[in-house]
Amino acid sequence: MSDHIVRSYDADLEGLRRSIAEMGGMSERMLGDSTVALVRRDTALAQKIISADQRLDNLQREVEEKAVLTIARRQPLANDLRELISAIRIAADIERVGDLAKNIAKRAVAISGQFSPPHRAVVGLEHMSRLVQAQLKDVLDAYAASNEQKAMEVWRRDDEIDALYTSLFRELLTYMMEDPRNITFCTHLLFCAKNVERIGDHTTNIAETIHYLVTGQSMDENRPKLDTTNILVDLPAANG
Amino acid sequence: MLSTLELSPQTLDAEAPVRIAVKNLDFYYGEHKALKNINLDFRDRHVTALIGPSGCGKSTLLRIFNRIYSLYPEQKATGEILLDGRNIIGNDVDVNELRSRVGMVFQKPTPFPMSIYDNVAFGIRLYEKPPKSELDDRVEGALRRSALWDEVKDKLKSSGMGLSGGQQQRLCIARTIAQKPEVILFDEPTSALDPISTGKIEDLLEQLKSDFTIVIVTHNMQQAARISQYTAFMYLGEVIEFDATNTIFMNPHKKQTQDYVTGRFG
Repeated sequence: MSDHIVRSYDADLEGLRRSIAEMGGMSERMLGDSTVALVRRDTALAQKIISADQRLDNLQREVEEKAVLTIARRQPLANDLRELISAIRIAADIERVGDLAKNIAKRAVAISGQFSPPHRAVVGLEHMSRLVQAQLKDVLDAYAASNEQKAMEVWRRDDEIDALYTSLFRELLTYMMEDPRNITFCTHLLFCAKNVERIGDHTTNIAETIHYLVTGQSMDENRPKLDTTNILVDLPAANG
Repeated sequence: MLSTLELSPQTLDAEAPVRIAVKNLDFYYGEHKALKNINLDFRDRHVTALIGPSGCGKSTLLRIFNRIYSLYPEQKATGEILLDGRNIIGNDVDVNELRSRVGMVFQKPTPFPMSIYDNVAFGIRLYEKPPKSELDDRVEGALRRSALWDEVKDKLKSSGMGLSGGQQQRLCIARTIAQKPEVILFDEPTSALDPISTGKIEDLLEQLKSDFTIVIVTHNMQQAARISQYTAFMYLGEVIEFDATNTIFMNPHKKQTQDYVTGRFG
């Protein structure tokens, strides 16, 4: 991409991309650490994540303010305008990823003193989290390189995570039925799994934004949904 | 998908008839070829913007539409410009009649040194001799349509030169539309005006497009994006890209267009 005639404009856009890269790195670390804190019942690490989220929120606000100011100052068009709109959207998605990771960390603190089910209960979640971490890393790399193809690969892979979430949901239900003492712990794990699944959704949002950024077109195709937990529990009311 | 969310000025009717069709147009200033094989369609009751860096030929193109160039013997146009199917650059064209059908508003307001009333009546009197009462009505109508009436109705006899720049420009628009043209050409009509006057002219353009076919040359990219439905990007005497305005400014197909609208040209 050739440079703008006004050089400070390039510096503004470059600054936004740098802030988003920083936010992305933080969110990746928060998701990784919150999973470790959960698996190892490490409350000290969990507390660190909870306080780190503030910095992510601040960065998001900063990106938004800078982007709005740049729109007001430079009245961007075409790919420049998409660049700024994308920055706002992606920053918001990353900020949500941070919130969800923080929520996992809070639950790690909450269950630290609880009766614990067999260790295999958290193995599934750990595995799912690793997959989502890879998705998050890939989508952020795709953004940094404006690589639309790579973003679409992330987008397509999200159904694996949805499928994994569904099987994890069943597994945790089984533990709860086996032994009622598992219920508190497993309920927290269920919410953690849902959080991870939603982080996966945010990575697909980011992928869609990258598609828009690079091609100028919005995505209209619907992503295949393999999260079927909403129909797993047969409520009596639903039958009537 | 966006059926309920329409942005007003950009709504375009792709079925609208073509009012001006430019075909294989070349233009020469002496030996210098300033326009190279231009092919463009201007649709009826739409605003078409011509954008491009200085010297790209956009004003030259505009000035061919009402044959201003024929004042200069060394300037020559070849090809065709069909206004309602009739070639206007042929030798058999009555240039005066053409100019009554194709009005023009310039960058700098050009009121005549006469009263506001006479400025507007001047264009009408060139071609017709209507009775006084009809002339009064037409002057008032033109001043109303150019959103100037309320500001000047009590001083129609005072000089047009005493108005502010923005008012003078609207006076020139009134003078143009009083002749009931079909096409109005605007050559950077707001580049000498403050933002408020510019806003009034832009608002006026939106009103005028329901009756006239409008072609505007502008250096202000946002202005083109706001008020036009079609945009042509020109460079070095050629049309690089011509498309719906939204496409040109949001997702142009040519790299040169994108570089220009985003301020990367060099």
